[in-house]
Amino acid sequence: MIVEVRRYASLGASGTGQLPGDPQDVELEDGATIARLLEELALPPEAVHLVIVDGRIRHDREEALRHGARVALFPPVGGG
Amino acid sequence: MDPERTGVRMDRMLRVNMTDRSATFEPLPAAYRNRAGRWLTSSIVHDEVPASCHPLGPNNKVIFSPGFVTGTAAPTSSRISVGGKSPLTGGIKEANAGTGWGRRLARLGIRALVVEGQSTDNRFWLLKVDTKGATFEPADPWVGKKLSEAVAAIAAKSGGKERVDVCAIGVAGEHRMGAAGVCFTDREGRASRYAGRGGLGAVLGSKGLKAIVVDDSGAADVPIADKATFDSGRKKLAAALGEHAITKPKGALNSYGTAVLVNILNEAGGLPTRNFREGRFEGAAKIAGEAIFAGNKERLGHDLYNHPCSPGCIIACSNTWHHKDRSEHTSCIEYESDWAFGADCGISDLDQIAELNLLCNEYGLDTIEIGGTLGVAAEGGLWKFGDGKRAIELVHEIDKATPLGRILGNGALITGRAFGVTRVPHVKGQSMPAYEPRAVKGIGMTYAVSTMGADHTSGYTIAPEILGVSGKLDPLDPKKTDLARTFQYATAFIDSTGHCLFIAFAILDIASGFEGVVEECSGVLGTKWTMDDVGRIGKAVLDLELDFNRRAGFTAADDRLPEFMSREPLPPHNGVWDVPDAEIDKVFAS
Repeated sequence: MIVEVRRYASLGASGTGQLPGDPQDVELEDGATIARLLEELALPPEAVHLVIVDGRIRHDREEALRHGARVALFPPVGGG
Repeated sequence: MDPERTGVRMDRMLRVNMTDRSATFEPLPAAYRNRAGRWLTSSIVHDEVPASCHPLGPNNKVIFSPGFVTGTAAPTSSRISVGGKSPLTGGIKEANAGTGWGRRLARLGIRALVVEGQSTDNRFWLLKVDTKGATFEPADPWVGKKLSEAVAAIAAKSGGKERVDVCAIGVAGEHRMGAAGVCFTDREGRASRYAGRGGLGAVLGSKGLKAIVVDDSGAADVPIADKATFDSGRKKLAAALGEHAITKPKGALNSYGTAVLVNILNEAGGLPTRNFREGRFEGAAKIAGEAIFAGNKERLGHDLYNHPCSPGCIIACSNTWHHKDRSEHTSCIEYESDWAFGADCGISDLDQIAELNLLCNEYGLDTIEIGGTLGVAAEGGLWKFGDGKRAIELVHEIDKATPLGRILGNGALITGRAFGVTRVPHVKGQSMPAYEPRAVKGIGMTYAVSTMGADHTSGYTIAPEILGVSGKLDPLDPKKTDLARTFQYATAFIDSTGHCLFIAFAILDIASGFEGVVEECSGVLGTKWTMDDVGRIGKAVLDLELDFNRRAGFTAADDRLPEFMSREPLPPHNGVWDVPDAEIDKVFAS
């Protein structure tokens, strides 16, 4: 299956050649979890603070992703 | 021991009467001995301003107060609170800004500067405050001028930006417009830091006070009653700010500024777009903090990290945006301003957003109110969403004070009425900030009940609802009554300390940092406050504000979001505002 990944802020600047937020298709085995996606992207789990899947914030990294999911990854961010 | 009765500071109040242009120093009343910042501005508004007065009449007052620790070595503590009765909401208002101005006022031993009365000669005046006292001079040369020019000239003739900071109103304030903010100089002397919300610039304009320059040369340091406790506290806070990923050097705020939030709210479906019609903006990535960082790098040829807006800030989140020729265009494009002129107006061109931001700084306008107003104006057919050139022309109308400009300069609600628009995102007449209530329920409850009108800084529930700071809550869960209350209490305390609210990101996650803030305050004041006093003080502040608003005529019916949010589903979640009124009414019921 393929998920559409957007890596924001400092997570987007790590040698991908892409600007933060540029969508990137990532191929994973069916039923792969969020943790598995981070492994595929070689992102240390602790570097990713927030995962938003199809607009919903997901705290459980063992949750399975679906084909076509929009996945956004963020380091710790704040503002206001 | 009663924690209210142990204070040792011998601070003063400076009372300025614009009717006869007198300036009188008074001892700080005993009841206010341990109050500062928002607690003190709201206390004086509550105790001295008739709740039924016209906000632009002689009986309203504008109160300035630095926080408990402003002027000391406490990190990130140069905030100044500005209070009064708001011409925008008709209720109490406290707006605060980061600037060296409040620090200098604190070093002069002035806990509160109260501006009252009303000039009767139809002229504008400049007030100068220094160790010798307070004096007036005519402000005629700067009336009608851009704020960058006025403020630079006032600073230059008053000893230079190293020696003074300037507070001033722009053209919008001179014309008593409801969207007029109070402008302060930043660390570099830019006219860019705003106590923006609620129209307090119009109140100063109504009094005939154009600017206040504060010179603290020769002033003594702010006295500290218990230095050991104070030092222990400030070190704990500094450690927390330096450690937390959001507030540390080259962390999220220092790298990308507050506009780093654009993408996160967009992904969460909570970025209000085209006047709150949608929760996602297709141009979000082009205007986000990451794009500002990348754009500056492309134009300047190097990484540009952000700078402190005020002395002593170790978070340093204030950005600049640069023209293609590398010259500075504007500072600061905050998240709220970026959203207001960007997503809310359907504009995805950072140069146009920067120009709108600059014009608001020059004319003395609240960027949130004006962005929200432009969104409503587009609904009303005055321009088309996305047409940045036309949006810029409309803001120039405000400077020219044309009839159209005066409507726009009085904010979203007035503009909606003038053009027959029903989709007006506001509460109590103040336009909504950059978080969509239908997608983030706790912030919607906060907008509804805030004593300030729609205001995200009243209680930043976005931290646990979206950012995963101080908890991990579901933003779509409507059960946020306790959250909305406790965050507003904690915020009212922080707003009284003189610290920037952004310390909350660190101290909500790192308990020793919050203890440090309480120790700092006790160290300065000589009190024995504990963490229990945070909630007590926060509640005391809110109780004063709620009482003022009740006397001003507000009822539960004013604690409501606009009707369209209950009727119109918001993409992408397609939910409506569904928090029951009874739950909203429980927030401050106890």
